[in-house]
Amino acid sequence: MKKVSNNWKQAFPPESVGTAFFEEFAMRAQNVAAKVFRVKTAAEAQSVIAEIIKSSDAKKVVATPEVVSPLNLPTILEPLNVKLYTEQSDIRTHADTSDVGVACVEFGIAETGSVCEDGLAIEQRLITTLPPISIVVMNSANVVPTIAAAFETISKVFDRGYISFITGPSRTSDIERVLTIGVHGPSQLVIIAIDEEIREV
Amino acid sequence: MSSNRNLKQEINEKLMDETLRGSLNRFAEAYPIARAKAYESVDDIDSLRNSVRDMKIETVENLEKIADQFEEQVTKRGGKVFRAKDGDALKEYLFNLCKEKGVKRIAKSKSMATEEIHLNHFLEEKGLHVKETDLGEWIISIAGHKPSHMVMPAIHLDRNQVAQYFSQELNKDIEPDIAYMVQEARIALRDEFLQADMGITGANFGIAENGATGLVTNEGNARLVATLPPIQVVIIGYEKLIPTIKDAVPILRTLPRNATGQLMTSYMSMISGAAPALVKKDGQWVEQEKELHVILFDNGRLKAAKDDKLKQIYQCVRCASCLNVCPVYTLVGGHVYGHIYAGGIGAILTALLNSMNDFKQINEMCIGCRRCTEICPGKIDIPGLIEYLRAKSVEQDGLPFGVKAVFENVLANRKVFHNLLRLASIGQKPFTTGRVIRHLPLFFAGLAADRSLPAVADKPFRDRVKKVTKKIDKPVKRVAFFSGCNIDFIFPETGESVYKVLQDLNMEVVFPEDQSCCGKPVLGMGDHETARKIAKQNIIAFEEAKADYIMFACPTCAETWHLTYVELFKDDPEWSKRVEKLVHNVREFTSFVAGEYDKVGRLTKTSGRQKVTYHDSCHMKRGLSVHTEPRQLLESAPGYDFVEMKDCDKCCGMAGAFGVKYTELSMPILKKKIDNIKDSGAEVIAVACPACMMQIQGGLDKQAPTIKIKHVAEIIAEQIKE
Repeated sequence: MKKVSNNWKQAFPPESVGTAFFEEFAMRAQNVAAKVFRVKTAAEAQSVIAEIIKSSDAKKVVATPEVVSPLNLPTILEPLNVKLYTEQSDIRTHADTSDVGVACVEFGIAETGSVCEDGLAIEQRLITTLPPISIVVMNSANVVPTIAAAFETISKVFDRGYISFITGPSRTSDIERVLTIGVHGPSQLVIIAIDEEIREV
Repeated sequence: MSSNRNLKQEINEKLMDETLRGSLNRFAEAYPIARAKAYESVDDIDSLRNSVRDMKIETVENLEKIADQFEEQVTKRGGKVFRAKDGDALKEYLFNLCKEKGVKRIAKSKSMATEEIHLNHFLEEKGLHVKETDLGEWIISIAGHKPSHMVMPAIHLDRNQVAQYFSQELNKDIEPDIAYMVQEARIALRDEFLQADMGITGANFGIAENGATGLVTNEGNARLVATLPPIQVVIIGYEKLIPTIKDAVPILRTLPRNATGQLMTSYMSMISGAAPALVKKDGQWVEQEKELHVILFDNGRLKAAKDDKLKQIYQCVRCASCLNVCPVYTLVGGHVYGHIYAGGIGAILTALLNSMNDFKQINEMCIGCRRCTEICPGKIDIPGLIEYLRAKSVEQDGLPFGVKAVFENVLANRKVFHNLLRLASIGQKPFTTGRVIRHLPLFFAGLAADRSLPAVADKPFRDRVKKVTKKIDKPVKRVAFFSGCNIDFIFPETGESVYKVLQDLNMEVVFPEDQSCCGKPVLGMGDHETARKIAKQNIIAFEEAKADYIMFACPTCAETWHLTYVELFKDDPEWSKRVEKLVHNVREFTSFVAGEYDKVGRLTKTSGRQKVTYHDSCHMKRGLSVHTEPRQLLESAPGYDFVEMKDCDKCCGMAGAFGVKYTELSMPILKKKIDNIKDSGAEVIAVACPACMMQIQGGLDKQAPTIKIKHVAEIIAEQIKE
C-alpha cells in the first residue's frame, strides 16, 4: 500500500510524543463524539472490532491490507458471516455499500482529539470516507501534544501525497445551526489505540 | 449587481424577516461563548493572532516568489497550474478542460472563489451537470439564493423552508426534521461523488514548500470530491498561499476556533501532487495518477497585494468571525451586502474583487465599532480599510455635489457652522422638552420614533467658558480644552464638569476660541481635502494656546487628533512637524484624571447606594484602549455602587451619521443596549463619549425614562465641593 512515509515513528519530535498525552487526546476525541478504546494487545483489539460488528449488525467490511493481517480480521469476521474486502478494486466496488471500514492511522493529537491519516493510498481514503462506521487503529504511544508538534512531524515526511486529520465523525450545522452527525462521511468514528506495536517498521 | 439598488428597502425586508432575525439573534448570542470556550486551551491568543498576521504579511511581501515556488512544486508533482487573471479566464480554461476530457458530471465542494464569479451558473449554461455537495451550499443552490454567510451559507433559512426546497428537488414529501433531512441529503448526493468525472474544490491554504493545498471541512464532502473523480481541480486565491508546511499551524489553530468554536473541524486534508485514483477500464478498476489542475485565481487580488493598506486582505483566513460579531450583520444578514462576501470584510472584498460601485452602496453599513478587529485571527483593521477605500473612491469620483457644498461652505467655516447651530437652538424650541426633542414633524418623525433626539443647548459651552473659568494661583499645568461639537452645543454641562475637575487639580484651563469640529464627520465620508482645512484651523488655534496638554472628553475627537491628523499630513513635511509637536500633548479626560487621582490617593474603591453601570464607547475602548480608568473613577466615586452590564462594549448604534441615516438599523442596536442597561439594575448609566450619550439618552427617554445618563466627568465633578 502506498504511503506518504513508511516510517512515521522516526519523524515524531522525541520530546513531544508518547502515552503521556493519551489521556488528553482521548478526552478531546470523546468530546467530539468519537469512541475511544485503549487496549494492550492485538487480540483485545480484535474483540473490540468483533463487538462493534456484532452490535451494529454489519454485513460488509472493507479494510486496508495494513490492518488485515496484524489483526487477523478474517478469523473474527468469518464466524460472524461478514464479508471482508481488502483488495483495491474490491474496496472501490464495495466501500460505498459497506457498513464498516477498518484502517490504520499514524498518530493522535492531544490538543484537538484528532487522528492523523496517511492517505496516499486510494484504498485508505475510500475506507475512511465512505462506510458509515469508521474504525481506525493506532498505537497508543503515538500521540503528540499539539498541532505544532503534529506539523513538526508532518513537515519531515510530507513531500507529496495526501494527509488528513480526522476529528470525530462527519458533522454539519448548516440547518438552523443544529449540530447533526453523519453527513457525507462516517456517522461513527471508533478509535482503537493498541499499546503493543502491530505494524512492522 | 445592479447599480440601482434600493438598499433601504432591502434592509427593511430583512428586518421584517422573523426567521432571519431570530436565527441571527440566537447566533449572535451563542457565538462569543462558543469562541471563548474553544480558546480556553490556548495560552496566549494575542500572540497566536500575531503569528497569523506576521506570517501572512511576510507572504504578501514575497508573493511573486512564493507563487512561483508553489507553481513549480505543484508542477514537479504532476499537477498543472493555471494562473487565471479573472473570472472569464478561469471559466474558459475550465470549460476547455471539460471539453477536452469529455467531462459531463462535476461534483463541487465549497469554494467562495467560484461563488465570486458565479461559476456554477456558467457551467450549467454550457450543459454540464454541476452539483454543490456542501449541505449549506446545496440548499442555497436549490433555492437559487446567494450565500448569506461565508461559513454558514444557509443561515437565513429555517428547517421548514429547507424542507420545502428539499421536497421540490427530490420530488417527494420531506418532513422538516433536521436529522432526517441531513440523511436525505447524504443519500441524494452520494452518487454525485461516485459518478463525477471531475471534482472541484476550493482551498483554505496552499503551501509553496511542497505545492500542497489544504481543505478544512466538517461534512466530509471535500474529501470525497478530492478522492473519487479522476480529474481534480483546485481553485485557490493568491491570498491563500503560505510559504511552508509548518505555516499551516497558526491558521489551523485559529480558523476552526474562530469560525465555528471548534478546536478542529472534522476533516483537514492536505493534498500534494497528483494522488492515485481509480478509473474503470474494461470493467476493471485500474489505479492511475489523478489529473490535477490547480487554478491560482487573481481577479483583483494581485493588485491589492501591491497597495500598502489593502494588502491586509491577505491576512484573512475566511473564518467569517467578523460577521458574527458585527452589530449590523447580525441584524440583517448577508444578502443586503449585494455581492458574495458579507459584512465588513465583505465590503472590502467586494470593492477589490468585484466593483467599487457595489462597495459604494454598502460601505456605510460598517459602523466602525471595531469589534471585528478584536477577534480577527489575522488582525485586519477592517473598519480602517473601509474608510481608506471610501476616501479613495471620493478622491476618484468626488462627493455628491450637495454634500461637498455643505462640507466646504459650512463645516470648513467655523463661524458659519456655529451660527447655524445657534439658529437650530432657536428653531427647535416648539419640540423640545428638557435636553431632548421628543417629537418631530411629518417625515422626520421616524427619526424620533424609538429615540428622542438631543436638543441643541440654549447657550453653547463656548459662551459659558468665562463663567466657569477660575483663576488658579500657581497652576501645576496649563490645559487647553478641545470640547468637540457635541459638548460645545449639546452637552455644555459636561464641559463645565471637565473644567471643575481639572481646576480642582490645580490646573489652569483655557478654551481656544477658534477651535472647530475635529473633522470626523467629513473624514467619515472620505473627504480628506476638507478635513485637512478643518484640521489646520484647529492646529493653529492650539499652537497659540501654548498649553502643556490638550484635553478631550470625547474619544472620537481625541482619536482623530491623535491618529488621523498625523495620517492626514504625512506627505506635508511642514504641517506634519506641527502636528507631531501637538499630538504628544493629547490627553483623554478619564484616563488623565484617573492617573492624577491615583498619584494623590484619590482612586480608592468606595461603595454607595446608587447603582451605576458603564458603557464602553467603541472609539474609547478599541480606539484609545481606555476601559479600566473610567471604571476606576466610578468605583471610587462616593455614593455610587459600580456594576457591569452585559455586552458593555457593544456599539450603541450611533456611529456618527449612521445613527441618523440608517435609523432602522440604529434603533434595534440601541434597543439591545437599553435592555442591557435595564437588566443591570443600574439607576445611572455612565459614558465617557458624548456621541454615545446622545444616542443612549434618546433611547432612555423613550424606553426607560427613570434611568439617568451621565458623562463620567459629571459624576466625578459631583464629588467636588465648591
